[in-house]
Amino acid sequence: MDRTSRSALHRDSRDRTARYAEAEDQQGCSLMSGERDISNRTAPFQKRIRVAAAVISVGILILVLRLWALQILEGDRLYQLSLNNRLRLRPVEAPRGLIFDRHGELMVENLASFDLYATPEDMPDVEETVRRLAVILQVSPDELRQRLAQGQGSSSQPVLVRKGVDERTVIAVEEQKIDLPGVSLQVRPVRAYPNGGSAATLLGYVTEVSHTQLKSKEFRDFHPGETMGQAGIERRYDAFIRGVDGGKQIEVDAVGRISRLIRQVEPQSGFNLHLTLDNRLQRVAEEALQGKAGALIAVHPSTGEILAMVSQPSYDPNQFSQRLTPEQWRKLVADPRHPMQNKGLQGQYAPGSIFKLVTALAALEKGAIRPDTRFTCDGTFNLGSHVFHDWKKGGHGSLDLQQAIANSCNIYFYHTALKAGIGEITRVARELGLGAPSGLGLGSEAKGIIPPKTAGSPEAAGWYPGNTVMAGIGQGMVTVTPMQAVMMVSAIANGGTLYRPWVVRKVEALDRELIEEYGPERIRTVNIDPDNLAIVREGMQAVVSEGTGNRAKIPGLRVAGKTGTAQVVENSDSQRGDKRDHAWFVSFAPADHPQIAIAVVVEHGGFGGQVAAPIARSLLEAWFKLSDESIPTQPAGPEPTEGD
Amino acid sequence: MDTYLMSTSRRTLLTFDWRLFAVAAGLAALSVLVIYSTSGAHASLARQSLYLKQATWAVIGLVAVIPLCLFPYRATSHLAYLIYGFLLVSLVLVSLIGRSGLGAQRWLSIGPFAFQPSEFMKLSLIILLARYFEDRREQLHTSRIFVLPILLTLVPMALVLRQPDLGTAIMLLLIAASILIVMGLKIRYFLLVGAAGAAVTPILWHFLHDYQKNRILVFVYPDMDPMGVGYHVAQSKIAVGSGGFIGKGWMAATQSQLNFLPANHTDFVFAGLAEQWGFMGALGLLLVYAYLLSRGLRLAKDASDLFSMITSFGIVSMIAWQMVINIGMVTGIMPVVGIPLPLLSYGGSSMLVNMLAVGLLLNIQKYRYQY
Repeated sequence: MDRTSRSALHRDSRDRTARYAEAEDQQGCSLMSGERDISNRTAPFQKRIRVAAAVISVGILILVLRLWALQILEGDRLYQLSLNNRLRLRPVEAPRGLIFDRHGELMVENLASFDLYATPEDMPDVEETVRRLAVILQVSPDELRQRLAQGQGSSSQPVLVRKGVDERTVIAVEEQKIDLPGVSLQVRPVRAYPNGGSAATLLGYVTEVSHTQLKSKEFRDFHPGETMGQAGIERRYDAFIRGVDGGKQIEVDAVGRISRLIRQVEPQSGFNLHLTLDNRLQRVAEEALQGKAGALIAVHPSTGEILAMVSQPSYDPNQFSQRLTPEQWRKLVADPRHPMQNKGLQGQYAPGSIFKLVTALAALEKGAIRPDTRFTCDGTFNLGSHVFHDWKKGGHGSLDLQQAIANSCNIYFYHTALKAGIGEITRVARELGLGAPSGLGLGSEAKGIIPPKTAGSPEAAGWYPGNTVMAGIGQGMVTVTPMQAVMMVSAIANGGTLYRPWVVRKVEALDRELIEEYGPERIRTVNIDPDNLAIVREGMQAVVSEGTGNRAKIPGLRVAGKTGTAQVVENSDSQRGDKRDHAWFVSFAPADHPQIAIAVVVEHGGFGGQVAAPIARSLLEAWFKLSDESIPTQPAGPEPTEGD
Repeated sequence: MDTYLMSTSRRTLLTFDWRLFAVAAGLAALSVLVIYSTSGAHASLARQSLYLKQATWAVIGLVAVIPLCLFPYRATSHLAYLIYGFLLVSLVLVSLIGRSGLGAQRWLSIGPFAFQPSEFMKLSLIILLARYFEDRREQLHTSRIFVLPILLTLVPMALVLRQPDLGTAIMLLLIAASILIVMGLKIRYFLLVGAAGAAVTPILWHFLHDYQKNRILVFVYPDMDPMGVGYHVAQSKIAVGSGGFIGKGWMAATQSQLNFLPANHTDFVFAGLAEQWGFMGALGLLLVYAYLLSRGLRLAKDASDLFSMITSFGIVSMIAWQMVINIGMVTGIMPVVGIPLPLLSYGGSSMLVNMLAVGLLLNIQKYRYQY
């Protein structure tokens, strides 16, 4: 048995006498030779321990006095409080920060809303109070009784009878306050959107946190009933906008009326947001898209600032601030035109002919064509056994690149696409921001589809020259979002810089203190020869001056653009009813020094030149009128040509 | 062997301080009763079974006291550094892989058990300091001797603060300070160390997460969280005060039963007791603690060697500080920091540590005639 592992216990068992001897050895010298030494040495300790004992006694005495004060002196009052737990806790919701457009125009604010509460326990005569309240609320007493019974969770908690009562009810309740013991009104700031559905999908909306959200880790700091931004800017910037809730500790009297405010912590208002959006331009854009389904995004091409962003049809975010009925919710979600979706970010559409800009750039980059390269269009294009058609029966005849862009000739771009090859087309598309989310950061954003780069080799499985031909005119395996389209156009317009789109300019505290400020963010300088971009820009000017986009023409302003008509179904009936093609128009102006770039898509709108180009024109007119009164607004010139 | 056992048990019976043991057992039983009575029908099922868990820990604690009495306490002196080192490693492990509870990492899971090294560190620090000073009893007149103990306190304190467990960190500081002052550390040196500690705080602060900082800030400034700590104290005062002179009676603690009091079984357990048994009950409890503390102080005062003196005094200071701060916090005269009430608050580690502390007192008592 070894000593260390069995410790002293074993020593003890083995040889007590030895142990005592050992103990004497250890302490022996002092015990034998100087017992006085020890007591001398411990004497100061003994004194200090007596002091410690005194300190502890004082501590215990203080506790006894405190208990005496609480339990004997204040006992009766605290007993009364505990009877009903009369000390109530009421959170005071902080008002959310306001949202302004780029000129300081108010886009989102808060209004006061009144919630009606009742505490049955505080009603001396429940029946009488219920009867009176039922008259005011214009419901049957039975309904009210049921409501009270349902709402009652714990003994003395007030029951929410009705949320957001109207002004008439507020006045009636206030007038009859004395006859309505246990009934109270609580003010609550609610989110209000004075422009209704305008920019709704961009701004988002506010609701109470859901039960599901409360369970997730992300929301661990939220408590039930708390409101938060649920989409768009309201969601993304919630941490800035929300503020800090305060609270009131109140004592209530025997009938539940507030008798004393014990302590109040004021809520702190959230921070205000200033957007890059121009609310006047936004209104014009919304009017132009009224009654249609689709999206419009206007940005400043050399900063990426979003000037207007429309997704139609929209919804009224105000209805979320009050309690949304299940029917209202079902209607919103079940609507086949997806009003809740931000089509600018989430809508993925075949780009149609606007993709010809990419095909042109790819061919130029590869040196496969030059601006004066001509192809003859007689209306059909044979590839193997398959025949591809031009949108214009009979064809365009012989054209160069600029004419091909202006007239959006399919045949020209079938040739061009084959010469450029799908690999180069894919590279240019990706350089210009297609196939990747823009990074705006507002909710989930669609990526769009760009043909895989490996498909560049003809050997790649499942990819045939026919696919390249179709992709070259923006059909087949290509989709883009309106946001990507406007980024692409911006990069072409500004000479080759891809900017991340942004919409919040700055975050300010209530006292105007700057919290955060944002600015342009360059994603990359695109790897495309600026000369080639210039060639394409010239073609885009021709689109508006003499081509398919002449409905966007504004006298005195050099507008560049490109029309697109994205096939939805592959048959000749495609220009009828619901199944009509998506109409695209992308543009920027002035052509030599662009200040605004626009992408418009109208779902099932038909021809881009007919439907989307006039929308862009009204927006351009408004923009230059708003920023410079000297540019006249006149109806566009000659009768527009039919077609893409 | 037989003779040994017989003589041991006879000696144990003769010298065993039954009253001290009865006090510990009584408090543990009271703990189970109060936790049972405040986890009423409204409480969730998980809460309702808390008293069973607490009873289990009370029994484990009481049983653990017995072997502790069987071998001379000086054996713990030999293990002092080993235990300290082990707990220090455990604290580091806690910060790395510990189980989270209420936003803080305090527990280390060993099989089905979750143990809280910071609780045990309190007792370990006492034994460590006792061993240290006994080893250097000839140098007590020098100031230099206090440098190492201060470092040995600050290291676990920093680790505990990181969890963050402000309450236990404060306890480590108070226990060590009490011992050092009794050992003759001049108050002015203590202030110097305090200033140094204050200087280090911002650096430690830097290592905390934002939510940890918030938690500590709320401890210090309850106004920051109007729905949280401040509310708890107001409710706890109502609970204590509404007990009046003789209390509302067994199981009639409406205030602490109906979940008005959060965590009423841990740090606010005293409120439940005071509500049910009033001033008489609370006073009775204070007298029981006073008896326990006076036993410990007598052992310290009459000790024949430094180790037993420091150990018993350290244990007294640990129990006294915890009791005064906890009841002070529940009655609203001290800031709310998470410090449990010894032998009463819910919690296995806390129960076990305080039982072991009483066990050490019993052991010192038993062997004090033998040297």
